[in-house]
Amino acid sequence: MILRVFRYTPGAPERMQEYRVEARPGMTVLDALVEVERTQDPTLAFRYACRVGMCGSCAMVVNGRERWACRTLLTALGAEEIAIRPLYHFPLVRDLVVDMVPFVEKMKAVGTAFVPSHGAAEFALIGSDSLERRQIDPTLECIGCGACLSACTMVAHDPRFPGPAALNRAFTLMADSRDDGKVERWAPLLSEDALWRCHGQANCTEVCPMELSPTDSILRLRRRAVMSLLRSHA
Amino acid sequence: MTGDPKVLKREWTTAEGWRGTRAGMWAWLIQRAAALALVVVIVLHLRNPFLLLVQGLLLALVLLHGLLGLRAILLDFGLPVRLHRALFAGAIVLGVALFGGFWLWRWY
Repeated sequence: MILRVFRYTPGAPERMQEYRVEARPGMTVLDALVEVERTQDPTLAFRYACRVGMCGSCAMVVNGRERWACRTLLTALGAEEIAIRPLYHFPLVRDLVVDMVPFVEKMKAVGTAFVPSHGAAEFALIGSDSLERRQIDPTLECIGCGACLSACTMVAHDPRFPGPAALNRAFTLMADSRDDGKVERWAPLLSEDALWRCHGQANCTEVCPMELSPTDSILRLRRRAVMSLLRSHA
Repeated sequence: MTGDPKVLKREWTTAEGWRGTRAGMWAWLIQRAAALALVVVIVLHLRNPFLLLVQGLLLALVLLHGLLGLRAILLDFGLPVRLHRALFAGAIVLGVALFGGFWLWRWY
């Protein structure tokens, strides 16, 4: 099997470099990259930590689609030649390694830190079978791999768009009755470059390895925004 | 290192750039393409309203654009996004059925 891997060093032109690996049963894209790095090219840079789909640090674009290298079997790709690129829309550091700072900055821009209500109880009061919990629970498992930002065409088009992960996180807080930061959060969410910019293409939802649906969260936030506007004029 | 750091974007001019394109993106693209095509076909229709080919194209594009718009509205109003592929398929099937029905009724 041939791996065509994106190579980049700051100050030098990027290129695709080919490596040949023997695809063994159960071998993942990450296994193949590790083998290349150990046996063929120690200069190849890529990021990984847990190797078992828990940390999200090995997110990259494999054959045109955002995936975790550690959870992608070579045989499942059904191709003799595999193109591996770093995530789109992030500053490149080297080869397959990108700078995740924009991910954090976008989170901060829409106020994705929990703001405890004054005098809030120490422990959660929201019942596990309540509507509030049922809305929030499916959105909580984001581990910040960045695949959704890479897949989002609006992130490519508008650098100020917060992107799916930050808007998904914002939804978890806007739906949380214990959070006291809602008024301040609406300002950036309702700005020209945030909620209304999403085109609903669901690319983020398609690629999320955790099977979250940031598109759902964005649409829910929009409905909340419209309802709060209607209530304020009622 | 000088200047802004390099940021990669999907290359729409390559086959690899399109390989990750899925149903939701196709639905969006087809609806926009239908809108652009409608502008041209409406002009042709106004010049000669009785050309069957232009009438057929006009109906096909209106159905495509309208039904994909209805899909977007249903999602906006709260249908779960997990249904978006089924809605896309449903819009195409319904559009073909309506076009076929109208064709048999008026033009065949």
